[in-house]
Amino acid sequence: MSGTVLTGAAAAALHRDDPERRPLTQKSLNDDILRMIAKPGPVWIAVFAFDLLVLLVGGLCLRNQIVLGLGVAGYTRPVMWAAYITNFVFWVGIAHCGTLVSAILFLFRSHFRRAVYRVAEAMTVFGVLTAGLFPLLHTGRPWLGYWLVPYPTQRGLWPNFRSPLEWDVFAVTTYLTVSSIFFVVGLIPDVAAARDRATGKVLKTLYTALSFGWSGGNNQWKHYYGAYLYFAAIATPLVLSVHSVVSWDFAVSQTAGWHNTIFAPYFVAGAIFSGVALVINLLIVIRKAFRLEHIVTTDHIEKLSKLVLLTSTIVGYSYLTEFFMAWYGPSNAERDTFLFRYFGHFWWASWIMFTCNVILPLLLWFKGVRRNLPVLFVLMLFVNVGMWFERFVIIITSLARPFEPYAWGVNYRMSWTEAGITAGAFAWFFMFFLVFVKVLPAFSITEIKETLPVPRRRKG
Amino acid sequence: MSRGAFLRDLLLPPAPKPVGVMGVFSYVDDATDAVHALQEGGHRDLSVFSPVPYHDLEKVMKQGPSLVRWVAFAGGVCGLTGGFALCIYSALSWPMVVAGKELVSIPPFVVIGYESMILLTGIFNLLGMLALARLPVVRSKAPYDPRFSEDKIGIWVPAQGETAARALELMRGHGADEVKLHA
Repeated sequence: MSGTVLTGAAAAALHRDDPERRPLTQKSLNDDILRMIAKPGPVWIAVFAFDLLVLLVGGLCLRNQIVLGLGVAGYTRPVMWAAYITNFVFWVGIAHCGTLVSAILFLFRSHFRRAVYRVAEAMTVFGVLTAGLFPLLHTGRPWLGYWLVPYPTQRGLWPNFRSPLEWDVFAVTTYLTVSSIFFVVGLIPDVAAARDRATGKVLKTLYTALSFGWSGGNNQWKHYYGAYLYFAAIATPLVLSVHSVVSWDFAVSQTAGWHNTIFAPYFVAGAIFSGVALVINLLIVIRKAFRLEHIVTTDHIEKLSKLVLLTSTIVGYSYLTEFFMAWYGPSNAERDTFLFRYFGHFWWASWIMFTCNVILPLLLWFKGVRRNLPVLFVLMLFVNVGMWFERFVIIITSLARPFEPYAWGVNYRMSWTEAGITAGAFAWFFMFFLVFVKVLPAFSITEIKETLPVPRRRKG
Repeated sequence: MSRGAFLRDLLLPPAPKPVGVMGVFSYVDDATDAVHALQEGGHRDLSVFSPVPYHDLEKVMKQGPSLVRWVAFAGGVCGLTGGFALCIYSALSWPMVVAGKELVSIPPFVVIGYESMILLTGIFNLLGMLALARLPVVRSKAPYDPRFSEDKIGIWVPAQGETAARALELMRGHGADEVKLHA
């Protein structure tokens, strides 16, 4: 074959066997992506039914907690923050990947983002919707959650704006609002393409409403991209601020193991690390299930896995820095907390965290691992297990070892109610995601089209 | 007339029928040449429809930067000042001095001001985009073709009579796949 250049039908025949090199045109792109939103098949229905079942279990556990009170949540002095706050930080972290991929990589003009950002953005919105549940559940009386919001009352009471917990309310609601707007705005031209093909009355009405009557006119494009740039410009500092604010829930308090200046960058890196890992998992499944290997190629996945490798090294460096600061610093309590963290009662959780987040991702230095999708899929699952345990370790080990030795306690066990609600949260997230892939274009038709050659009659 | 149809007509009277010429093109260079020629022929009120924004067409349509950035900026200013104002007002309206510390303590209020700035910038940016791009489109001034969301480019020339006939011929001469007169 060397020296022979295949063109036309011969090249198409050669590429037919390689799903990643299936030819792509502007029209076929619409066909391939909008094919996803056809009537659901039996596999999707089975997965969705299972998901709803798990969600039901979570709902029943929540009912249990509402009826019986927070006592069923396994809180035992001194550990009065546990699985719910772990889940909150985990899901806010998951939510970070979307804005990183859609906004930060947009500003850096990284073209590989075009094929993957919609899935990541959807993950962001659904991740924040999941995260937002947990502070409310943790309060024990979620129906009074509106007390967190500043509103004028007859009593003249206002929330304490000096509290990091109130900062969280502002950061998370801003993040949910801005990332939802960003997501919906990005969808407008693609939903218009779906509208143009929709046959059912319900879907046609839904797409007409969501597309705002988009027609692709020059005036619409001008203001659309003008606004999109500014969405990206504000989402970038927002994504960095949100997890920083979440980290300050811990860092601003006077608790050994939490009171660290490194927390903001450490949490942001960890958030991106876990978010990108989950987006890789989702993309590997979606590309296979909908035969979209020519749209999300192994190259795209490999680039994302390099991001995981980068953030893994930052996270590993942060773990070591924390340990170093405890050893080198003046605080005996800090030193004791870190020894307890890695060699005390919860040593197993810390070493799961360290192995999954620092040691296993070292495999990503090998190109063969980055391009082997089944291996990568399993590796990314480990990363997310590790990142859940990171939050668990930070919260539980520091609270179990306060300054006063008489208050030490390692009696916390995750209760069945907490476990059920944690599983229900995953089902809640995947419920939105499963509906998303069947109702809305899961890949950006417009932005992928922009990577195709511009159709010109005159060549050159 | 049914009650539903009566109400619909009352709230949203039927749009006036668009009058003009719609040309459908497959190639960007053909469409660019056609727009250029139409502009030279005195047509100023052209609209171009495309599945993605093409730089050649943006250039020939002489589109400047969007004004939406000023709307977003106004939102940012409102959010920043509003966030700080809320914190300062609430601290002063219920003065609770703790350990002799300042009631108006700026550093923690920066977080609220910052997040409020981003929130209102985002909301204003959205509203600005919708207003400037005339979205949502309730009544379109030009006929729409679903192929514009796939791979075709449309040029709409609002014209009638002799002018419309000239525009029609001009677009045919510049490689339009089809040209349709809406009279």
